[in-house]
Amino acid sequence: MNCLEFRRASLSDPRRLDAAATAHADQCPACRDFHARGLEAESRLAAALRVAVPEGLHARVLDRTAAARRPVRWLALAASLLVAIAIGFFAAAPGNDPVALAGIDFVMYEEAQAIADAKPTDVQVLAGVARQMGVSLSEQLGEIHYVGTCPFAGSTAHHVLVKTPLGKVTLLLVPDRPLASRAVAAAHGMQAAIVPVRAGSVAIIGGSGRSIVRTETLLKSS
Amino acid sequence: MQVFGATQRASFDQAVRDCLNDLYRYAYWLCRDRWQSEDLVQESVLRAWRSWPGLREHRAVKGWLFTILYREFARSSSRARIPTVSIDEAAMEPQDHADPALAFDMERALRALGEDSRHAVLLQVLGGFTCAEIAAVLGTSEGAVMTRLTRARQALRRTLEPGEPAREAREL
Repeated sequence: MNCLEFRRASLSDPRRLDAAATAHADQCPACRDFHARGLEAESRLAAALRVAVPEGLHARVLDRTAAARRPVRWLALAASLLVAIAIGFFAAAPGNDPVALAGIDFVMYEEAQAIADAKPTDVQVLAGVARQMGVSLSEQLGEIHYVGTCPFAGSTAHHVLVKTPLGKVTLLLVPDRPLASRAVAAAHGMQAAIVPVRAGSVAIIGGSGRSIVRTETLLKSS
Repeated sequence: MQVFGATQRASFDQAVRDCLNDLYRYAYWLCRDRWQSEDLVQESVLRAWRSWPGLREHRAVKGWLFTILYREFARSSSRARIPTVSIDEAAMEPQDHADPALAFDMERALRALGEDSRHAVLLQVLGGFTCAEIAAVLGTSEGAVMTRLTRARQALRRTLEPGEPAREAREL
């Protein structure tokens, strides 16, 4: 290696001299001095480029990266839920009676608004309607939390919210809607049965089949 | 859908921690703005994370991260997403450097370099990369990188240490 080659090597990467360059520097005082000055300049250059790193940069960058990982999990969960809902829908759909299903939809999407909008009905009026329909609203049924009227499936229904030992149950008493036979539906994790009574029909909507059957048995116990 | 395990996350976080300071400083001298630099680093790390499971050579992760940042900067600049501060407009904030006067001189010296030479110097001094590694990042030949670095160091010394380079030039 000659002096020109050494100095080019020193300028292109002063911190990594190869064996040939090191050997040349050992024999050439001028190049050794040139390289020493180069290393000093390199230190100053490195110091000048060493700007302060903002406080908390590591935590911010890694936190945001971690946050960006979460949607992957949420997407996976959302996809799983979608599949489960679709399976549930198709599995349940063939047996779902449209009026019973309308009862579940009413509870899911309309009940709260119906309670907010409607004027509560006197319990005595409800008792009279129940008698006419041949339905028993005994104390065994549970604690009645709300009584009112609301539109349901093209008719006016007497809307009753009952807190039973097996969970909340919604009753929709429809005197002017006779029914030939019992029908059921299941959707959104809820179950519904629409049952024929002496005059009209009653939709019973609850969280489990047991609460539906219990309520139905008690309603018909008169 | 990719599922990243805890081990992958831990190894990625450690790899990022190991070179984040150098990565930020590289971004800083490209953007010359601390906020844009932080955004650039963040975007680069996110991109790196998405590709992490496919990376076979985790030992070369530093060069890989710098390459991602360099490309992200080039991409963002071309789309004007990162409006690089004109050097004439650039003003270092006092907290950016322990020696603001030195940083100002550095900025002036870097200004005088061509873009390719600037990248090569920053990658070598901040990243500690060899000429071959820099060539891989910049997509050029090792010889071209050596030439750029030689000329860049002569120019930097000329700007930062008036009087000194004249002798070096004569010596070359």
